[in-house]
Amino acid sequence: MRPVRFNINAKKANIQDAVATVQAPPGFSGEGFFTTKMSDVVGLARKNSMWPLPFATSCCGIEFMATMASHYDLSRFGAERVGFSPRQCDLLMVMGTISKKMGPVLRQVYLQMAEPRWVLSVGACASSGGIFDTYSVLQGIDQVIPVDVYVPGCPPRPEAIIDGFMRIQDLVGQESIRRRNSEQYKALLNSYGIE
Amino acid sequence: MQSIIILSILVLLAPLVGGLVYGIERKVKARMQNRMGPNILQPFYDFFKLADKRLVMVHSTHAFLGVMHFISIWVAVAVLIFGGDLILVIFLHLLSTALLIMGGFSTRSIFSHLGANRTAISILAYEPVLIIMAVSIYAVNGSFQISSIIGSEPLLYKMPLTFIALLLILPIKLKKSPFDVAEAHQEIAGGAEIEYSGIFFEAIYTAKWLDYIFVYALVFLFGGSNYLLGAGLVVGTFIYLNALDNSSARVDYRQMLKFSYFVALPVAFINLLITLFN
Repeated sequence: MRPVRFNINAKKANIQDAVATVQAPPGFSGEGFFTTKMSDVVGLARKNSMWPLPFATSCCGIEFMATMASHYDLSRFGAERVGFSPRQCDLLMVMGTISKKMGPVLRQVYLQMAEPRWVLSVGACASSGGIFDTYSVLQGIDQVIPVDVYVPGCPPRPEAIIDGFMRIQDLVGQESIRRRNSEQYKALLNSYGIE
Repeated sequence: MQSIIILSILVLLAPLVGGLVYGIERKVKARMQNRMGPNILQPFYDFFKLADKRLVMVHSTHAFLGVMHFISIWVAVAVLIFGGDLILVIFLHLLSTALLIMGGFSTRSIFSHLGANRTAISILAYEPVLIIMAVSIYAVNGSFQISSIIGSEPLLYKMPLTFIALLLILPIKLKKSPFDVAEAHQEIAGGAEIEYSGIFFEAIYTAKWLDYIFVYALVFLFGGSNYLLGAGLVVGTFIYLNALDNSSARVDYRQMLKFSYFVALPVAFINLLITLFN
């Protein structure tokens, strides 16, 4: 069992007496005010502190290096600290052709990341197999792990990678604080045979 | 009584100030490299994000050593702020680093071992200078008490060479280039803290902020009762450290040890001899 610190499902009030409870007007039910503020703060923090884990197998990795360097400077978005330990990172950036033998390795790296985790698929090869329509290449990494944002291009320019990154940020900032406990997310992971 | 409350508040605020120093440092470093750099509040964003990561630990002793590393360095900073014994402060700080090294060695990861090994080597490099610094302060001041050092006239005029030696070993202490062998990201992927994650990595991360407070407070001591001079020294040291970090490449750990033993240590020792025979 994973630790759950907040209740996703609101508890039913256990009122046995004949106390009349006021029905909340529409628009005021759901998450409490406090948790909403909390999720806003955590969303802001997560959004501005995405530590990327580069999984660079080929030429898109070179574009990623350009993105990290002074001119494009991914650290503006708080992604300065590139971690090479999957446990400390939030964003798996898959860049380059993933062959079928590499698929289990990629999946292993994804499983080693602590939740919450996101995946950015950079380039045509990672997204769909690209020009390598052959027996040895995985036709898109979404066959082994769930992907949040795809960046097209062969290879994509650093601007395109930054655009993809900002889309991830939008996702992260608006997400509920415990996405990982929701039924939808579990169903998604189960469809990939994870947990 | 009132001063105790003020000092306690200072101790509690120390990580916050340290985080701010770290944020400003990242910004300054980025501007020196001609890029925009992260937000000044970036360390706090990291803090809140790490707090909510899923709990993954290698084993409980490893996690416990990481948390104790944070607590012991906080105690060292607290003793420093409360004006306690300088020797006690230096050895509490040594204890916190030793706990991190034990944490690094307690896993099976080879990178963790390498990082812990190199952290131990950097202790060998900087610790003698710190102890000689404490002894020379005793020779000048007649006391190890920080409250009496802060009350006396500036130490900088009496022991300038010790201050230079301190400046020479600070990059080793703070893991800055050219002496950042202990957490060389490109070679050994981050040092002894590599196996920590989530809330336990947060303890290590916050301990790093407290490290800044510790180092800059040591520098501030050289101002003595002249607080303006102390603040000037802190700002100067900050700029010096960042300029050095950005303009130099990493050296081998043997070169680091040689530099420490043949340059920094003799400089501190000469100053000690001068103060002893004066």
